[in-house]
Order: sequence, then C-alpha cells, then structure tokens
Amino acid sequence: MIALLNTLILAAEGEPHRDDNGQVVTHSWILPEAAELIYGTISSIIIFALLYKFAGPAIKKGFNDRTARIQQELDATSQAQADATAEAATIMQAKGDIDAERQRMLDAADAQGEMLLAEGRVRLDQEIAELEARAASEVESGASRAGDELRAEITRTAAMATERILAGGIDPDAQQALIEGFISKVGAS
Amino acid sequence: MSDSRIDGYARGLFEIARAEGTIDEVEDELFRFGRAFESNDALRNALTDELIPADRRQGIVESLLGGKATTTTTQLVSMVVGAGRGRDLPAIVAKLVDRASASKSLESAEVRSAVPLTGDQQDRLKAALTNATGKQLNLKVVVDPSILGGIVATVGDTVIDGSVRTRVDQLKSRL
Repeated sequence: MIALLNTLILAAEGEPHRDDNGQVVTHSWILPEAAELIYGTISSIIIFALLYKFAGPAIKKGFNDRTARIQQELDATSQAQADATAEAATIMQAKGDIDAERQRMLDAADAQGEMLLAEGRVRLDQEIAELEARAASEVESGASRAGDELRAEITRTAAMATERILAGGIDPDAQQALIEGFISKVGAS
Repeated sequence: MSDSRIDGYARGLFEIARAEGTIDEVEDELFRFGRAFESNDALRNALTDELIPADRRQGIVESLLGGKATTTTTQLVSMVVGAGRGRDLPAIVAKLVDRASASKSLESAEVRSAVPLTGDQQDRLKAALTNATGKQLNLKVVVDPSILGGIVATVGDTVIDGSVRTRVDQLKSRL
C-alpha cells in the first residue's frame, strides 16, 4: 500500500526544470504544483480514510477509555470528596463534642471551684466566728477569773484582817459577853 | 487499832482508876492530856514515833505529867505510850470518858472555850445544855484559843457552835 502511494506521488510530480545555475525551480514559492496537489489530496484522503478505518476505532476506544477513566477518577474523586466531607463532618462533630465536653468540664470545674470557694468561705467564717467566740469566752473567763481572784483576795485579806484583829485581842468583857450570850441562848432553846 | 482493842484499853484504864478511887480526877486529867496530845504536833510525834525507845517516850510522859497529874494518870498514860498505842490515846480517852459518864448515868459533853470558864459559868452552861438536850451531862471544858471567842459545845453527835471562829468562817463563805 505504501509502495503504491509512493508511486502515485512520484507520478504526480512534474519534471522540475533547472535554472541557469542548475538549481531546481518550481512555479510558486508557496503553492504546490497542480499535479502534486491532486495526487497529494487523493493520497491524503486515502490516508485519512485508512486512518479512519483502521486507527479510528482504536483512537475512539482510547478516547472512550480515557473518558471512562477520567469519569472513574471523577467519581472516585467525588466519592473521596464525599468521604472527606463525611469525615470532616464527623471530625467537626467530634470537635463539637470535644468542645462541648471541654465546656462541660470547664463549667464543672468552675462550679466545683465556686463550691470549694463557697465552702472555704463558710468554713473560714465559721473558724473566724469560733475564734471570736473563743476569744470572747477567754476574755470573759479571764475577767471572771480575775474577778474571782480579786474577790478571793479581798476575802482572804478581810478574813486575815478580821482574824488579826480578833487574835490581837477580844477584850475580856467581850469574851465574857460571848460566853454569857451562848449560855443564855442555849438555855433559852 | 481496832475498836475492840481501843475499847479494851479504855475499859482497863477505867477499872484501874475506879479501883484506885480516883476516877473523876483521872478522867479529867486524861481528857485534858488527850486534848493537848491532839493539838500539839511535836508532842504527838514524839509519843508516837516508833523509832524512839519506849522508855524514852515514857520518860517524856512522866516529865510532862509528873507533879501535875495524879500518879494513876501518869502511869496509865505511860503504859499506853510504852505499849506503842500513843496514836490511839485520844480514842482511848474518849471511850474512857464515855464509860465514866455512863457509869454515872451521864452523857459526855465537851465544851471548848477561848478563855477559862468560871465555876458559876460551868454550872449555868451545864444546866443550859441539860435543858437543851434533855440529858444529864458530864461536862468537860477545854480552853481552846483557836476558836478566838465564844463556846463550842459537843454532846454526843450534837454540836452547838457559838464560836467567833465559826462566825469568821461563815463571813468568809458569804464573802
């Protein structure tokens, strides 16, 4: 087949003429020769027809396969995107749960802290009240004790003074008066 | 010492004194010596110290009572002290006085006074106590300056306290 085409091409080519310098010269610097154009066109049609007949299905199959592969990749990508979105949603939900848990823990910690603080204040208030009460009691007790000691001292002093005065001498008349008084009292009873 | 032993000593002393015919003097002298024994720590320690030989303790008794009390009293006290029963002397004397009073159908009455009582005062006091208690009394008078003034009379379990000491103590309590 190729040999045939080459033969047709060679047959379509006109005899090139040479100039004075022996160089090959065509009739246009851009347009092919007419015969070359005809045979070239026919050859191209034949080539394209052959390409269409024999290479077209392969090319089409290749394109279809590529399209299918791309579609598959697109589907896979979409699936991956969906999966990623779901995963992201799960992560976001987990994050939300974590945030909620963290908030809950923070709230619980705050509540516990508040409770401890309140209890500490209450206990502190109680201790202060107890200390104040104890101090007041001790002050009162001290005052009472001092009063008692003072009274005891006054009593001791008064008793000592009385005894000293009496020991220093109840005069005989007073002694006799006491004795007579006792006798009279007992006798009258 | 057990009560029975104290009672035995008292009964023995009483019988000796009664046999001697000096029960009233002996009773009175023993009573006074018993009170002196109770109130004088040095005398009590000397007569009850087991480390002091018995004859030495008896010597102390005889030097104290010799010439001031009847021989019977001196010998009786010396016997009790020599037997190592000096610590029980007040109890023995108390039993003896009770026994002597009982022998005369009398109740013992101890009277403490800050100053000595005259005979007339003792008679009137005895009459007053007899009237108050309804008992015939064997009055024993002790001069006890520690009561400061007035009289404390004890008849059996009854105490009639008219002492200045008690009034001072009552004043202390009220204060």
